[in-house]
Amino acid sequence: MLDALVEALKGSLSLVLPDIVLLATVAVVFFGAPFLTDERGRSEAGLRHRWSWLALAAVGFSGWLWYQSTPVEVGDGPFRLDGLAWFVRGLSLATLVVLLLVNWNQVPDGASAESIGSLLAIGAGVNLIAASNDLVYLFLALELVSIPTYLFLFLPRRDAAAQEATTKYFLLSAFSSGLVLFGMSYVFGVVGSTNLQVIGQALAAGQNGPLPMLLPVAAILLIAGLGFRITAVPFHFYAPDVFQGAGTSGAAMLSFVPKVAGFVALIRLLIPSGWMGPDAQTLANLTGPTVWWLAVITMFVGNLLAILQTDVRRLLAFSSIAHAGYMLVGFQIGRETHAGIDGIDALLFYLTVYGAMSLGAFAALIATSDESKRYETIDDLGGLSRTRPAVALLMTLFLFSMMGLPPTAGFLAKLNLFFAAWSQGTESGRWLAIFLAVNAAIAAWYYLRIIAAMYLREPAHAENRHQEPAASVAMACCALVVLGLFFAPDWLWRAISVVS
Amino acid sequence: MFDWLTKESVLWIVPAAPLVACLWIVVVNQFVGRQRAHRPLVVAMFISWLAAICLATTIVPEKFAKGDHGHGEESHGAADHDHAAGHEHADHEHADHEHAAPAEEKTPADETTPEETTDEDEEESGAENAAVADSAPPPMAAGAAGDAVPVHEESSYGGELPRGVTYPVGNHAVVKFVYQWMKVGKVDVAVTLRADAMSALMLVMVTSVSLLVAIFAGGYMHGDPGYPRFFAAMALFVFSMCMLVLAGNFLLMFVFWEAVGLCSYLLIGYWYKKPSAAAAAKKAFVVNRIGDFGFILGVFMVWVTFGTLDFETLFGNPAFIPQVLNGIDPAIITTICILLFIGAIGKSAQFPLHVWLPDAMEGPTPVSALIHAATMVTAGVYLVARCAPLFVLSQTALGFVAIIGAITALLAAFTALTQYDLKRVLAYSTVSQLGFMFMSLGAAAADPVHLMQPAVTFAMFHMFTHAFFKAVLFLSAGSVMHSMGDVIDMRRFSGLKKVMPVTHWTFLAGAAALAGLPLLSGFWSKDEILAVIWDADRVPGYGLFFGAILAVALLASLMTAFYTFRAYFLTFHGPERFPEEAGHHPHEAPPAMAWPLRILGVAALLVGAIAGPTHLYAHYLHHTPGLPVSEPHGLNYVMMAVSSIIAIAGVGFAWMVYGKADRKAYNVQERYSPAYELSLQGLHLDAVYQALVVRPMQALSELSETLDRLFVDKLVDAVGYLPGIFGSLVRPIQNGFLQSYALVMLLGLVIFVFGVLRAIAGM
Repeated sequence: MLDALVEALKGSLSLVLPDIVLLATVAVVFFGAPFLTDERGRSEAGLRHRWSWLALAAVGFSGWLWYQSTPVEVGDGPFRLDGLAWFVRGLSLATLVVLLLVNWNQVPDGASAESIGSLLAIGAGVNLIAASNDLVYLFLALELVSIPTYLFLFLPRRDAAAQEATTKYFLLSAFSSGLVLFGMSYVFGVVGSTNLQVIGQALAAGQNGPLPMLLPVAAILLIAGLGFRITAVPFHFYAPDVFQGAGTSGAAMLSFVPKVAGFVALIRLLIPSGWMGPDAQTLANLTGPTVWWLAVITMFVGNLLAILQTDVRRLLAFSSIAHAGYMLVGFQIGRETHAGIDGIDALLFYLTVYGAMSLGAFAALIATSDESKRYETIDDLGGLSRTRPAVALLMTLFLFSMMGLPPTAGFLAKLNLFFAAWSQGTESGRWLAIFLAVNAAIAAWYYLRIIAAMYLREPAHAENRHQEPAASVAMACCALVVLGLFFAPDWLWRAISVVS
Repeated sequence: MFDWLTKESVLWIVPAAPLVACLWIVVVNQFVGRQRAHRPLVVAMFISWLAAICLATTIVPEKFAKGDHGHGEESHGAADHDHAAGHEHADHEHADHEHAAPAEEKTPADETTPEETTDEDEEESGAENAAVADSAPPPMAAGAAGDAVPVHEESSYGGELPRGVTYPVGNHAVVKFVYQWMKVGKVDVAVTLRADAMSALMLVMVTSVSLLVAIFAGGYMHGDPGYPRFFAAMALFVFSMCMLVLAGNFLLMFVFWEAVGLCSYLLIGYWYKKPSAAAAAKKAFVVNRIGDFGFILGVFMVWVTFGTLDFETLFGNPAFIPQVLNGIDPAIITTICILLFIGAIGKSAQFPLHVWLPDAMEGPTPVSALIHAATMVTAGVYLVARCAPLFVLSQTALGFVAIIGAITALLAAFTALTQYDLKRVLAYSTVSQLGFMFMSLGAAAADPVHLMQPAVTFAMFHMFTHAFFKAVLFLSAGSVMHSMGDVIDMRRFSGLKKVMPVTHWTFLAGAAALAGLPLLSGFWSKDEILAVIWDADRVPGYGLFFGAILAVALLASLMTAFYTFRAYFLTFHGPERFPEEAGHHPHEAPPAMAWPLRILGVAALLVGAIAGPTHLYAHYLHHTPGLPVSEPHGLNYVMMAVSSIIAIAGVGFAWMVYGKADRKAYNVQERYSPAYELSLQGLHLDAVYQALVVRPMQALSELSETLDRLFVDKLVDAVGYLPGIFGSLVRPIQNGFLQSYALVMLLGLVIFVFGVLRAIAGM
């Protein structure tokens, strides 16, 4: 009996080995930090470099484990390592590397251990969301992302704005977690199991329980709760305030990681793995046109409000909302296309590319600033092409990619979503494609404003020679991805093809 | 030693060599050895040329049907199934080889009368064709192909489609898969190189001319401050041109179609500080865009209609296109062909888009020789020839091609009569000769099935010979320019034959070939074009149409002989005069320039005679997959006699007017007449465009600017307010207060829940 339990435990844990490495490092960092800090929270200069190197090593080891692993068949244990889990783990480990580089000089030495630790915990949480095979574990993994996020947002800057931003995020995030939990409880109530495999099969078989109305309500609750993570309108309100108030590295993390978490959780919950045919019932088809409306509203609100912004990070917040709208288009198309591009595949492609361009843009913002001066508004970026030509060029690349212009991966990513929506063959799908194209055009306006400011205006600030080598490396990596995936999109497609 | 060359690797060596040269020049020669920047290009072109020769002589012929082309009776050898596709089709090919084997065994018994043979063959070729199609077979099952091949059987096709067509069987193209750019759903974009008989011949032409021009340019451009830039752009051009020829699908072809346009732009505007050069570059670019727009629309139509852009799928199996088109409105194929031809009109400088080419002479002369005479401008002819399997289905489109070709040939020849800028004479001559090629292609309109093959063959053959003699003419003109201190106005120099003996002889060789003097290159190729138009003329119902075309062609031939020798006599005969820019001692070209001239001169004289009457060229080209087969085309002695007389008459007339040793200095004023003025100004077409297109456009733009200010601006402003209005609606919510955020989130949730419940209740 005990042996069997140990075996089951070992079997389960082997599926999440890379995440255990990350969490072990978190434990080491949190445990070691107090011994290296004095009572006032200060420590010797340069400690952050050592913690960051340690974290990079841990991510590297975890990445090596990930690289050795291959997807295995889904069992009835708490964890799984299917294609999606494998893909998301790779994506989130790569994101962790970039975020560690972006965050390198953003936190005072005394708080660096906590900041880096929570970043690693967030990464592990994202991995576990994809790897969980059970509602309970899924919820715990979501919280493993949320709770360290509060810490991560607060640590770099402790002024009033950051406090306000963090508090807002904390309260609304808790609210949305409540919605998710509520939705999960309904699902459990109907199906009588917390195992995702069992739930998917029960739904596909049409077992809607004694109260069939509960299922669509549960689906809506899940969408609403996770819609907060992906900044879908009307659950997006925190984003501009928090992006503006929190530190730049916090905003960078917030622009991407919660979206991965949210979309992966949505896919896990609403579109069960193992394609069961177009007519099989899933939570996604129970929600009717909800996601369609969500996508359209999110695209339009994000883009229209972005036009009004003058603060760069607020602008990027609204832009990130708009991008969530584009990705929701892929989610709405789902795995229903006939001969064209699969909607979920297109979504995952877009998500990856979006990560590269969004993190790259924030890395560029960090690379331009120094301790004394933060770049806040578009005017601050004026004339950047003359003071920091390389940064301006790469920033332009990322903005081009966000606009969806060739030769950047953003172009292919939008093209895929467009094809997926158009080739679905339904009228609603075509309308989505049209709205997507319209919004891409609207979005060009505010991205071009930044580029125009960087290239056409006189420098707003005296030349600053401050260098941010780590952020520059992060920026270069992102640029490589944005360009590389245009010329060799097949690399990403091959990884994505593992998912479905 | 060169065993590795016989693999498909040769296919990528041809474009790769100039690409490497380009990168090398950009990275290294920009900083080190700027004045030796021509060397990488010359070396690369030599490699590329060897590879092209190897490709044309050994690798492509391996894929030909065994025996002759003909009606297929000998073709059951079915070429070797040597991994034609180069990727992942190996298994299929093996299977099909076995499939085709029984047909092979039956062959010897089938030596019967022609009619019977044809029938038998059609059935058997079903199996064969399945094998052919297998090189890249996606959408067709082999069985379906087998059913579709007997094209001449009644009923299944509409009236527009050809009856009794036979296609060469067992001819393959060499396909080299290079890179899969993206493959998502139905969208499949791959970089594939594909060489068949047609592209192999074209490559030989492109690389030989490029090699010689590169050597020549090394001497010609010597001392220019932008030396590395020039050779980098040349290398990029040769790479793009080779890729254009080798492209395995329409999309790749379009990409490099644009790339050669870009290189042309860069090189026309090479002396960008000269306003006229910058303006000419811009004009070339803009005018070409009009054509490219047609081309991309055509490509899009092909994709929509056939579901693929891959040449191997489209043209590799002759049954594919008729099968897809079965039951589709025949107007579609006509539209596709005309759109593609509009692309050719732009690139090949045909009426009405020919105006950019004479201005393009602002570029350095080696560029004019290579890009604007020998290679890039012939891409349009190549495009139409490549798409012959499409054009064969549309007589309307072919007729259109013939008309445009005839108008261009006549108009450009007329304009060339009086130009006094030597390079402009040659430029108009190029336009006119390209018109000849299109006339030849269009001649197939009379009877597409039987005339398509000779039409394509002779157009491509004229393109081949034209490349050599026009290149030597341009390079000789460049040599004159080089020695005259960049003066190219024929009014300002004359009698150069003593000072520049080599240039004199090479120019004479080129001029004689262009004029079509008997037994020289231009004679053979032009004569065959006239012959095919003559054949078209004899098809019942087309007598008048092609009679007119034939008359135009003969008239244009006469003019060609005249203006060519006018330029020759004006430059090299008469009293010895030099412009002051030339200095005291005008010099003959240095060896780096003289030797390419000599080689090209000899080629200009002999290429036609070697490849023409012996049918070497024609027999080789007939192996192009997808080209319909027709009877061997004999020499047309009547036409040969007529065109000889015309050529000699034109030369003699030019000698009477300009050739006398004691003629006076050239004077425009004396010769003034309305017709002369008309010709000198190119029928005032530039002015006509100015009046008909540019001015109305300007007026329109002024009108729309006014409208814009009064109306559209206000509208845009109003739209611009929308985000503001929208923002002011939403901003009260986006107020920074936590409780209102939570409230709106909750409201949203309630609305969604309510909506879904209502939808379910409504069901």
